[in-house]
Amino acid sequence: MTNVVSRESFAARIWRKTLDGVGVKVGFAWIGLLVFAAVFSPFLANSMPLLMSKDGAISAPVLKYLSVEDVWVLANFFLALIIYRLRIAVGKRVLLFLLGSALIAVFANLLIKPPALVIYDDFRTPAYTQVDWRIMPPIPYAPTDYLRDMVSKGLEAPFATQGHVHLMGTEENGADVLSRMIHACRIALSIGLIASGIALFIGVIVGGLMGYFSGIVDMLGMRLVEIFEDIPTLFLLLTFVAFFGRSLYMMMVIIGVTGWSGYARFVRTEFLKLRKQDYVQAAVASGLPLTSILFRHMLPNGVAPLLVSVSFGIAGAILAEATLSFLGLGVVDAPSWGAMLDQAVKSSSFNWWMAVFPGGAIFMTVFAYNLIGEAFRDAIDPKLSGKGEGV
Amino acid sequence: MLTYLVRRLLLMIPTLLGISIVVFTVMALSPGGITPQALTSGMEMKPEQRKAIEDYYNKRYGLDKPAPVQYLRWLNNVSPIGFVSDDQGNRGEFSFSKGMDLGTSFQYGRPVSDILAERIPITLLLNLVTIPVTYLIAILVGMKSATNRGGSFDVGMGMSMLALWSIPTMLAGVLLLGFFANVQHFQWFPTAGIGSREAQDMPFLPHWEQTGFVRGFLLDRIWHLVLPVLCLSYGGFAALAKLTRTSILENLDSDYARTARAKGLAENDVLWRHVFRNSLLPLITVSAGLLPSLLAGSLIVENIFSINGMGQLAVEAVKGRDRELVLSITWVSGFLTLIGYLIADFCYTLADPRVTYD
Amino acid sequence: MSQSLLEVRNLRTYLQSGGREVRAVDDVSFSIPKGDTFCLVGESGSGKSVSALSVIRLLPQGVASHPTGEILFNGQDLLKLDDPGIRAVRGSQIAMIFQEPMTSLNPVLTIGEQITEALQIHHPNMSDEEAQERTMLALEQVQIPQASGRFRDYPHQLSGGQRQRVMIAMALACEPQLLIADEPTTALDVTVQAEILRLMRKLQDDTGMSMLFITHDFGVVAQMAQWVGVMQQGKLVEVGPSSAVLHNPQHAYTKQLLAALPENLAKPVHLQTLRQLEQETESKPLLQIRDLKVWFPIKKGVFRHTVDYVRAVDDVSLDVPQGQIVALVGESGCGKTTLGRAVLQLEPPTSGSIQIDGQELIGLSARELRPMRRKMQIAFQDPQSSLNPRLLVETTLTEPMKVHGIGANHEERIELASVLLESVQLNRDFLWRYPHEFSGGQRQRIGLARALALNPEFIVCDEITSALDVSVQAEILQLLLNIRQQRNLTLLFITHNIGVVEYLSDQTVVMYQGKIVERGKTAQVCGQPQHPYTQKLLSAVPRLVV
Repeated sequence: MTNVVSRESFAARIWRKTLDGVGVKVGFAWIGLLVFAAVFSPFLANSMPLLMSKDGAISAPVLKYLSVEDVWVLANFFLALIIYRLRIAVGKRVLLFLLGSALIAVFANLLIKPPALVIYDDFRTPAYTQVDWRIMPPIPYAPTDYLRDMVSKGLEAPFATQGHVHLMGTEENGADVLSRMIHACRIALSIGLIASGIALFIGVIVGGLMGYFSGIVDMLGMRLVEIFEDIPTLFLLLTFVAFFGRSLYMMMVIIGVTGWSGYARFVRTEFLKLRKQDYVQAAVASGLPLTSILFRHMLPNGVAPLLVSVSFGIAGAILAEATLSFLGLGVVDAPSWGAMLDQAVKSSSFNWWMAVFPGGAIFMTVFAYNLIGEAFRDAIDPKLSGKGEGV
Repeated sequence: MLTYLVRRLLLMIPTLLGISIVVFTVMALSPGGITPQALTSGMEMKPEQRKAIEDYYNKRYGLDKPAPVQYLRWLNNVSPIGFVSDDQGNRGEFSFSKGMDLGTSFQYGRPVSDILAERIPITLLLNLVTIPVTYLIAILVGMKSATNRGGSFDVGMGMSMLALWSIPTMLAGVLLLGFFANVQHFQWFPTAGIGSREAQDMPFLPHWEQTGFVRGFLLDRIWHLVLPVLCLSYGGFAALAKLTRTSILENLDSDYARTARAKGLAENDVLWRHVFRNSLLPLITVSAGLLPSLLAGSLIVENIFSINGMGQLAVEAVKGRDRELVLSITWVSGFLTLIGYLIADFCYTLADPRVTYD
Repeated sequence: MSQSLLEVRNLRTYLQSGGREVRAVDDVSFSIPKGDTFCLVGESGSGKSVSALSVIRLLPQGVASHPTGEILFNGQDLLKLDDPGIRAVRGSQIAMIFQEPMTSLNPVLTIGEQITEALQIHHPNMSDEEAQERTMLALEQVQIPQASGRFRDYPHQLSGGQRQRVMIAMALACEPQLLIADEPTTALDVTVQAEILRLMRKLQDDTGMSMLFITHDFGVVAQMAQWVGVMQQGKLVEVGPSSAVLHNPQHAYTKQLLAALPENLAKPVHLQTLRQLEQETESKPLLQIRDLKVWFPIKKGVFRHTVDYVRAVDDVSLDVPQGQIVALVGESGCGKTTLGRAVLQLEPPTSGSIQIDGQELIGLSARELRPMRRKMQIAFQDPQSSLNPRLLVETTLTEPMKVHGIGANHEERIELASVLLESVQLNRDFLWRYPHEFSGGQRQRIGLARALALNPEFIVCDEITSALDVSVQAEILQLLLNIRQQRNLTLLFITHNIGVVEYLSDQTVVMYQGKIVERGKTAQVCGQPQHPYTQKLLSAVPRLVV
């Protein structure tokens, strides 16, 4: 047994082992791409110019039309970058982020007032086209710009439309598919994170209580877990959505509330195992307070395997939303990959671009999260991967 | 063993109750609640029809009563033991053999039990065909990967399985339908349904007749099932293949495998005589969770391939806010799932002599 | 000297581990005459198991390589045999049994099937009936009672000792000439070990086979072997007749190993006189246990009603005098660990009384219990799980101090923690490292430091040296005596190792099936045991002096 292996903490070691492999790097790269697209979508795909100069006056129409949500997302992104750079404890960082985020939300609501109605056709009138110069976003179509002034037929294959280029074709209402896909990143990512976050929160609390207290708490908790496991989740989702109406936030909450049972079971098993560990017993024998035992001794050691679950869980949440949209029960106007997929088989002909591109995006995202989850799993318990060598 | 079974069955009851309560609560909590107006709003209906629906619901539930009471009345109607109610909906005497009255669906205008009796076998057929297919492919792929550890088959399969698992069911269904059942590309398979209309009259097995080759009922069924089963199974066998591989590798490294080699067994015999059976044990444990995911998958697959099974029914019922149907389907799915768990547990006791339940 | 059955010449075995090449066996040569037993001794990592596996060529192919060497069995070089060739040898001419009988048997096959398989591999024309008959004979030979009934049993239905007998029966079914035994009794209780060793000697006498016996226990060597080889880090440092090596070792390492045995360990000199003085006077009991019961309910039936209890600790009364080390001995399942934990309220006692310094512990609420916890601490057996892997050593040591208000501020606590580390003979810098950076022995020292952090009066040591090598164990034991002296500690030392008991403790308490069967001064209990179980236990311990 060697004396000094390395000077890294447990977390750093897991992180290093996780990133060791091609697949996981691809996964993180894709997620990074999605994050970028989600944060900067108003600047990437929009019908209005980013910057233009008309008669010498420089203006940025994009900024005028940014919604509260856009601003909030952008500000949070930069906030996260700044906090990442700070050298303070993890717990404090999270708190700081949440606080900052809430503040931004408040301010954004108060200060940002975009025009209520946006007529995209206006941006193609001479008021905006006959200018000294202008910089357009890479994809010059907004997601909800149905191109009515262009008399588009809707559901056209890539490059098939006369007059202007649609890299991924158009969907049934005439909007550009690529633009909608970029804006749909936001929904996909946020659904994944928020729904999983809710599920994780409920699951950890219920599972932790069950694992630590056992007895009656455990029995009741298990019945609750079984109930939520046995309800056909999709079916419950359908019921919720059908009876409660379609709202994005509602969907996130519902997916979260129906998906916590797996986490609870997991955390419970981990806690049962951890409770028997010697160092936990030593902590109890030293008279340490319950909060310390739970949060300092048990939880950090149970978290690592949970990461694996969460990765797969996020993938599951994204799939759930896409499925709902596919079945016609998702959000209506806002762009969603699942809804676009549904249009692939709507008309009698097979619109392959509606299946391949949004479907491909869903696939890549789910695949990315699965790759990450696998990498975490291999890093945490190398025995499970079967890649270990040695005698 | 018997005590274990009895205990499990008894424990199923609170769970089933819990499920129905949750669904009922969702419906009750929705905007508009469970008043007759909510039930029939949004649907184009003649006044007589509307009145008929209201009458029906009133009889069964007493629509002006609060939600918990309505729930209890539903429970009473559905359970095989309870109070008999007459035509006016008044409470009669307590009986132990009342029979289960699942009510009438207004979307379809028929008793729920009839509809379920038609639809459930189809979904069951789909799922019961899928399960062996899934396991077979998973075990084959898993074994080959494990014995070829680190080799090209193993690495290739590892990546492919993960990718396969990541493909959303609906995408796969859409692609399969679009490419393999479409005039535009290859029309190798039928687009919809679970059997052609002519098939009903066909004899069971394929044979030759004067007019040429007659497909026969069996082959026709199979032909229709290929794409849906493929769609339903790929996710399952991707996950199971990985599990099989891991399990076999762990067991190949185990102490008892070492003992077997020390006795002079060839590697092949170690694999088949000792490792194989032990490796299957985790697969049985996992099968418990397979049924719920298959039922969920059925929802999508039946929708895409226009198969009239329970999954399709569920979507229609929810969209149409058909209360009776929704409650019954939930209940039946929950029940099937729990039975699935029980069967899985039972199979596990058969396979592993260490496990006894008492 | 009889002709050599097995001759190993210049064997080298290199293993690929995590990208590096490890020289597990480095130029080892020895020979085993017909009918004799050769013991390979060494600490963990010495290469003794790998040597044994090399002989029968059971190491994974991609991982192990043998750059040089010959293994001559009956004149034939085993390393040069092809696959079918070595398989013909395995099981029929050379057989092997392993350490863990539970996992070494296939759990889903009956023991009868597994033994008949051994026969039918090497005698393909044997009929099933004949194979069954020979299996029964084999089971009777290893003294399994009611062999015919046991044929259809599964491994989990047998006890540990019986499973090892089945392993032996399976190994001997084809009447091999050489039996390789890799620590076959290490996982068994002492009394069971004695029986198995006796059985193996008898079988050897009956069949005239040779044995290659791997162990770390010199007492076993003395009992079993005519020849012994001592290994250190892949090299064979000393080899010869066992009587010579054990009583007149030549190599420094052998001497060091033998000196580290608890039987041979010298007590720190200044202690001996002091202890003698103190032992004259009767000390007041620090810990008083009266009628303690720790019972665990067994629940059966549809509604899970309690049908019976597992009586882990059954009506135990015990006084632990202040300043003394009381050893709590027994085999697995006797309740000693449960008792130790119950004293610290880590297991909820069912009934009885536990008083420390006159203060009753049972029935106190968590809040009332907290100040009492300063007085009593615990150190654990398993170095892998005794420290929180996420925390720096500094946090592990200072957190209890902070909770109990020891030390006015953080700096003071760090200073106290540094002093603690030094008192367990570790460097101050180790405060700023993580547990995974330390060896097993070092982790046990840190565990002791943690137990000392609150300056307790009483420490329960739950088999703290059982997972350590002999030399490391020796250091920890001597450390323990020093600390006890410095701080006037009272220790309850739980162990199953009689040698450690005799070295360390002032008083000894013997437990069996939840009850105390004998207690008294160590010299008396170990020298003149009164209770039949104690007598059986003590006679079963393999001693160096045969």
